[in-house]
Amino acid sequence: MLRINNLSARIDNKSILKNFSLQVNAGEVHAIMGPNGSGKSTLSNILSGKKGYDLSGEVLFENNNLFELETEERAHRGIFLAFQYPLEIPGVNTNIFLKTSLNAIRKARGEKELDAIEFLRLVKEKAKELKFEEEKLNRQLNVGFSGGEKKKNEILQMSILNPKLSILDETDSGLDIDALRIVADGVNSLRKKNNSFIIITHYQRLLDYIKPDFVHVLMNGKIIQSGGPELALELEKKGYENFN
Amino acid sequence: MEKQLKNDFEKIIKTTNFSKETIKIKENHLNQFIATGFPNRKLENWKFSDINQIIKKNIGDLGFYNDYSFANKIDPSIFIDGIEHNKIVFINGRIEKIDFTYEDINKIEILDQDQLENSIKYDNSLISLNSAFTNKYYKIVVKENYSLKKPLIIYQTSTKNLKYKNINLRLDFLLENNSCLKLIEISDDNSRKNFTNTFFNFELKKHTILKNYKIDKKINDNIKYSFNNIQQDTNSISETFILSSGSNFIKNEINCNLNGKYSSAFINGIFSLKNHSHHEIRTSVNHLIDNTKSYQLIKSVLDDNSKSVYQGKIFVNSKAQKTDGYQLSKAVLLNENSEFNAKPELEIYADDVKCSHGSSSGNLNKDSIFYLMSRGLDYEQSKELLINGFLLEVVEKITDSEIRNLIKNLIGVKE
Repeated sequence: MLRINNLSARIDNKSILKNFSLQVNAGEVHAIMGPNGSGKSTLSNILSGKKGYDLSGEVLFENNNLFELETEERAHRGIFLAFQYPLEIPGVNTNIFLKTSLNAIRKARGEKELDAIEFLRLVKEKAKELKFEEEKLNRQLNVGFSGGEKKKNEILQMSILNPKLSILDETDSGLDIDALRIVADGVNSLRKKNNSFIIITHYQRLLDYIKPDFVHVLMNGKIIQSGGPELALELEKKGYENFN
Repeated sequence: MEKQLKNDFEKIIKTTNFSKETIKIKENHLNQFIATGFPNRKLENWKFSDINQIIKKNIGDLGFYNDYSFANKIDPSIFIDGIEHNKIVFINGRIEKIDFTYEDINKIEILDQDQLENSIKYDNSLISLNSAFTNKYYKIVVKENYSLKKPLIIYQTSTKNLKYKNINLRLDFLLENNSCLKLIEISDDNSRKNFTNTFFNFELKKHTILKNYKIDKKINDNIKYSFNNIQQDTNSISETFILSSGSNFIKNEINCNLNGKYSSAFINGIFSLKNHSHHEIRTSVNHLIDNTKSYQLIKSVLDDNSKSVYQGKIFVNSKAQKTDGYQLSKAVLLNENSEFNAKPELEIYADDVKCSHGSSSGNLNKDSIFYLMSRGLDYEQSKELLINGFLLEVVEKITDSEIRNLIKNLIGVKE
């Protein structure tokens, strides 16, 4: 589904990713762990189309060159980024935003747009699953939401948009145990043989709830080791500093 | 210009039947205007908007005489649908209709200017011009304890054949104790290259509410000045909303005197500008007694080479303890050639007051755009959603829900 070959990224002449390669097949869950500043967020930003990076190498998503696709086109094709810091958008109603988003994606895929009633039915069901207070959906997008609510809102968006490839950028940071479990349940319920995940995290904790197929350790812009779930436990024990 | 002014004034005096007294007053105003001329940038109030130059550049020489001997035909298609309302219709500066169909006729009194004392004294040459040349004006009195059942919409319209003219409009309003008026001013111009000078006076007695919504939406290349003078007695509330968008140039000036305790004034505005339009809002809120309140929120969305100006003054005299004054202006610049000027001013002579002001301007937040686009919205949709959200905060300040919805539809702002 996703093939990253020798991706290098620079911003303001600072090298962040160095010959980064990764392959994610349909149905797989990959965890990328690494210390602060290792390039984790840069990777997720590049995959979802944020501008401002000097890029070389190649990223293929379902055999299409990702660099030729605009941010919204990537979303239309099924890439979703759960932001590390979801933005507050004053004056934009959460429900209306969700509906605009879903219908933009459905339209691009040649599917029928949902009317208000169909949409509300869907959003209600998903909000219930994630124990997301429905009342919050009538508020301005993320405005006045707690850190945990913002993260849950990202997972809610993910489950409504039903992407092929979801990238979760430190979704676990700032979550209490209960919220962590709800978020993990949300991810697990989306886990199907066609949906893939890249889970970016500092800690092993989230991986107790979402069992990854592969764990990669990212340091200084490069994957220094890959393995199964046991790698995360080892990392937790040793710490990043002593890992080399 | 002096010769033109005098000739046109003579022509008006000959063709109308003003009383001798009125003519004398008008002559005084004319002479005052001749002495000062149009305001220019040397005056502090006009430093961002040199109307003298703007008129010269956009119109050239103005004519001050308008033939008001014939009635103009009203085109009913201009009337706003979906909201029952009373009407006053101006066409080319002539009052063609005053219609309070929905009201108890004993509760509204319409006084002719000849029944009024004419003692306007402002250090403002455009008011002198207005007073010299207004055709006929009225004072509308809302009687004690009466709240109008429906809003009053004032249509300011002009016809195609009107060109290179100065139009002067005036209306006075008196809200007697415990009365309430909702007013919408809509400009609907078909004319080009004229200078419209509007002067409205509001006197708010005790426990009254005035809601005034000023809508300048239709694109036109006229130059406009509007001065609203509001006097407020005890426990009165004035709410002014300005949508400043359609005209080539418009300066809205609001002077509000909070003379009575517990009176309050709310002024909210939106500039939504494109091309070369240049708009200004200047407010002067004067807290003249203790326990009064004022609130101002002005937002701009500026594209192309447009320019908006907000000069907001809060004055608190030494008697006005416990004043609560607030003003904030924010601008989003969509183009590197657009410009926002803000001059917040606080002048405070009392020591126990709460006054604050703030102003900011910037581009649309790139991270917000990225966030929305990462959810499948294209750039235009994302931009629209952000602007919509930015302006919604001001529209939400409109306290009348029916009018709020009307204005949301007019602007295209969604909830």
